[in-house]
Amino acid sequence: MGREIVQLKGNRGGLQLVFAPNVDFESIRDDIQRKLEEGSRFFRRGTEIQIAPGVLSEANEAVLRKLFHQHGVLFRVEEPVEAPPRPKVERKPAAAPAPQPTLIVEAPKAIPKMEEPQMLVVNRTVRSGQEIKSPGSVMICGNVNAGAQIIAGGSIDIRGACKGVVHAGAYGDMTAFVVADQLMPTQIRIADRIAQPPENMKKPTVAERASIKDGKIVIEPIERQEIKA
Amino acid sequence: MSEVIVITSGKGGVGKTTTTANLGVGLAIRGKKVVLIDTDTGLRNLDLLLGLERRIVYTLVDVAQKRVNYGQALVRHKKYTNLFLLPTSQVADKDAVEPEQMLEIVQAMKTEFDYILIDCPAGIEQGYETAVIGADWAIVVTNPEISAVRDADRIIGKLQAENKKIKLIVNRIRPQMVKDGTMLDMTSIDDILSLECIGQVPDDDKVVDSANRGMPVVEWKDSAAGAAYRDIVGRICGEEIPFKPFETESFWQRLKHVFGH
Repeated sequence: MGREIVQLKGNRGGLQLVFAPNVDFESIRDDIQRKLEEGSRFFRRGTEIQIAPGVLSEANEAVLRKLFHQHGVLFRVEEPVEAPPRPKVERKPAAAPAPQPTLIVEAPKAIPKMEEPQMLVVNRTVRSGQEIKSPGSVMICGNVNAGAQIIAGGSIDIRGACKGVVHAGAYGDMTAFVVADQLMPTQIRIADRIAQPPENMKKPTVAERASIKDGKIVIEPIERQEIKA
Repeated sequence: MSEVIVITSGKGGVGKTTTTANLGVGLAIRGKKVVLIDTDTGLRNLDLLLGLERRIVYTLVDVAQKRVNYGQALVRHKKYTNLFLLPTSQVADKDAVEPEQMLEIVQAMKTEFDYILIDCPAGIEQGYETAVIGADWAIVVTNPEISAVRDADRIIGKLQAENKKIKLIVNRIRPQMVKDGTMLDMTSIDDILSLECIGQVPDDDKVVDSANRGMPVVEWKDSAAGAAYRDIVGRICGEEIPFKPFETESFWQRLKHVFGH
């Protein structure tokens, strides 16, 4: 599989449109049109797509704007807001209900600038055919059964068994992660990476965390912090 | 007090109609006044299992469309005179009865019957909506196999979204296979569905025989499935009945099976 002509990169400002080098505008336009018509999951109605100024000529920008608008997608020419590395680290306390003490110290500083959506807490088992979707992080207090789907812009924390499909960082956040007491999903997706657990997987005995390391989804055991009453 | 129970499953062929027929007859034997409503329009079967096919004059569709009163469409059971069937049409399709019409019929029946059991069609489309709308609570029937459990999970999610109370019946259990570890056991099913179970019904050849004769196994004294259904009827009536361990085949019985009967 070659490099995609049109790609979307997530940053703090939204979704950034990026093109493969040395591709003419016609191919770009055709590719976007095809994706829009196929109803690709990136180009949902109401999504806001950005492009850095100067990448395309103004005439070509107008062509794309019209194309996106026809499909209900917002299109803006804007300087990309590069995510500074620190706030990205600080998102984690928002996702982990029992953050480690060292991170708690940093968390208050992050709160005023946070424009990110709040964490969604689901207080039940998510069953086959049900889908939980949130632009922010998601915490499930219950199981995620096979046939269920969790899609989060941020990270996913499951206080129970995870047997369904989980997609963290669905808008491109490579630092997103998935934590579950028993992590045995049908499939794990983080940003644009997909991993499939081995067949005949044994029931894990400890909580595990999946995240991207060196471009691959890696699963490692973690210790849940017990909160003593 | 009238109780309206829908018997549903998601997947087809797990034993919804068999369960409805057996619980209906079981409750009638205990002297309750019972009506069974078949909502599987176009694929009706409940009348066959009760041996009442030839007595049908009007159907649920006629009642829903106000051509007759429900009383005119009810078919009385031959042996148990306090058991009635409201059959559905075999020629119409599922959208012939709107959920609102069904709700109205069930509400009207509540004053007359102790138990209203609704046999739900397979699937999660309009037929399901129609069957479920009037129910106080639901019985989900499943089999100890992965596809039936998955579909049960789906239907449980839908029912919980409508705030219905749900109880589980696991049907067609083969004790020997469970013992050998080749069939899902109750623990694994409970792991996935985590519901209160009110019945574990073993697979029983007599169920097929009874269907052909139109006499549900619940009245058969020598049937293991019949005994399980009698226990479920007791639990529905509020009795505390412990689950009995299944009898698995002894070594000699298995040997007999190997060498033919």
